[in-house]
Amino acid sequence: MTRPVSRARIIGAIVRKDVAEYGRDRLWAFLTLMVLVVAVALYWVLPDDVDESIGVGVSGLDPAALTGLESAEAEGLALVGFAAADDLEAVVAGDADAWSINGDAVVIGHDAGIAPPDGAEQRNVSIGLAFPVDFLAATTEGRRTEVIVYLDAGVPDEIRFAASGLVRELAFAVAGAGLPVSTSDPDQVFVVLGEDRVGDQVTARESFRPIFVFLILLMEMFVMASLIAKELQDRTVTAVLVTPATVGDVLTAKGIAGALSGMAQAVVVLVAIDSLSPQPLLILTLVLLGAVMISGTAMLAGSTGKDFMSTLFYGMVYMIPLMIPAFAALFPGTASAWIRALPSYPLVDGLVDVGTYGAGWGDTLGELGALVAWCVALFAAGWVVLKRKVRTL
Amino acid sequence: MTAAAIEVEDVSFSYGEVEAVKGISFDVAPGEILGFLGPNGAGKSTTIKILTGQLPPKSGRARVLGTDVTTDDPVMQAQIGVCFEEKNLYESMSGRENLRFFASLFGIRDVDTEVLLRRVGLADRAGDRVAKYSKGMRQRLMMARTLVNTPKVLFLDEPTDGLDPVSSQAIRALINQEAERGAAVLLTTHDMHEADELSDRVAFINDGRLHAIDTPENLKLEHGKRSVKVRIRDGERVTEQTVSLEDAAAGEELKAAVSAAGLMTIHTEEATLESIFIEMTGRGLEG
Repeated sequence: MTRPVSRARIIGAIVRKDVAEYGRDRLWAFLTLMVLVVAVALYWVLPDDVDESIGVGVSGLDPAALTGLESAEAEGLALVGFAAADDLEAVVAGDADAWSINGDAVVIGHDAGIAPPDGAEQRNVSIGLAFPVDFLAATTEGRRTEVIVYLDAGVPDEIRFAASGLVRELAFAVAGAGLPVSTSDPDQVFVVLGEDRVGDQVTARESFRPIFVFLILLMEMFVMASLIAKELQDRTVTAVLVTPATVGDVLTAKGIAGALSGMAQAVVVLVAIDSLSPQPLLILTLVLLGAVMISGTAMLAGSTGKDFMSTLFYGMVYMIPLMIPAFAALFPGTASAWIRALPSYPLVDGLVDVGTYGAGWGDTLGELGALVAWCVALFAAGWVVLKRKVRTL
Repeated sequence: MTAAAIEVEDVSFSYGEVEAVKGISFDVAPGEILGFLGPNGAGKSTTIKILTGQLPPKSGRARVLGTDVTTDDPVMQAQIGVCFEEKNLYESMSGRENLRFFASLFGIRDVDTEVLLRRVGLADRAGDRVAKYSKGMRQRLMMARTLVNTPKVLFLDEPTDGLDPVSSQAIRALINQEAERGAAVLLTTHDMHEADELSDRVAFINDGRLHAIDTPENLKLEHGKRSVKVRIRDGERVTEQTVSLEDAAAGEELKAAVSAAGLMTIHTEEATLESIFIEMTGRGLEG
């Protein structure tokens, strides 16, 4: 009597075959390697610090008047004195650069073709306050006067209000008067919930970290989808299914091969960008769940695609909505409800929470639960579609 | 009496509204080669798909090695070998790797790939990727893969289709060896010479129906017309005379023809499987 072969041995054999095939597909091997290298290189090129101060250029005032404004500096406003309003306007408009040397601002137009002075430090100026030359006299005489506020187009509304306040503060400072603030104003107590990142803002590197990890997993989706489509197209899967291997064995093996491959690459990237801390096990769990979810998506894309191009097309169809949460993570604030409903959101959100804000297992239970649910749903959908496809070959 | 390795009872199958197999019944004994003869679209490949568990029959019953084919029994599947019409091999893997992979699916760890590849004449190309193989080499590798588990039942779907005579002959020799070993062979083909040469019995299938099933000899005797063609020279003229052996006066006619002074050649004429197929189904085998 012939003894049946164990399922584990069959699945193991298919996984080994899939991994070997993966490595031999030169196009995908090259693309995978390229994405790995580019992601890691890009990460280290991105700035690791954040300039939290806003450069404010001031013209028409005695530079000595600016040095006494410690409160402005404390509020994150870096004041730079300009000799002329025209220079200030050109710098804010982006037509010229401002360089600071020994406390003096040197403005060099982009068309001038002049190198900045040795030892000069470039100053970013987003807001310009052009005071009229008779500002002091007008203020002391009680005449109305006009201050022009130049704003970079990208300056948000709240900064415009801050600029308005700054003009008033400067006016009082120049006039030698105190601010008209009553001591009866209520005390304000700021309570920061979660990790206070003031002075330690999220850097570009940190913002892009989940994107890099997710990019690797998405690359894996394309590779797996392509391998699945090829197996269906060449009908090699039918040759496998007339052996003791079942459809379930084939699908399980595909899932394992895809998840392992995606996980391995993601770990390589995480190690290379030094991002496995502070909760390596939690990060690895999130990535593993993400890899499983992506494997299910690869089954869907591979089942619908008939050749390389159509697999690429369907891969893109699945990839675009999955990428949105990763890009949403670049921008602070709460993501829209529809973005939160996307399958990749709990993965990206979890990675951001753990990697950037030091969240632990307890803090990420919601993300883990949602991710498990999406894993089950997408893997089951991929399983059903692929099984149906195999049956109709 | 030896139990049949393949038993098919009144099996039908439809692709949607199209009836591909219509209530066919036959069996194949161990060591027997049954040639399934029919044109493209006759239902040959569908029958193999049903028997190998790829398609469930719409009605009827089919058993392989005593196991119902719808049960997806891994023990049964471990004892069958299937050679597909399409060359579904892993192209990025070598011939040797293909065999090792499929052997591992049967739980065979110590498969002697060199022996298998030598049997199909591919030993010197064992390490080459299948993508570099010619069509004939791929077909021979398909046969080697079919034999990787030393199957008790072989399903061979057009195994020599489109091959050169040398490759075809090599594969036919292999099929004979397997039958001599005791394997039951179901061979689909639309090559009547191949069916005639290899098969212990042939089954005519057309439009999903079995029209006849018997040994090639019996089919020829039963359905063919035996005759003798005699060519006689008469001066400058050559005459040709056909004597039907079915006629009562055949003996006398033949005697007279053979005794003729200008006798040049005598040829016996037998019906071919193809002519019988056409006679029975009204359709050629190449269609």
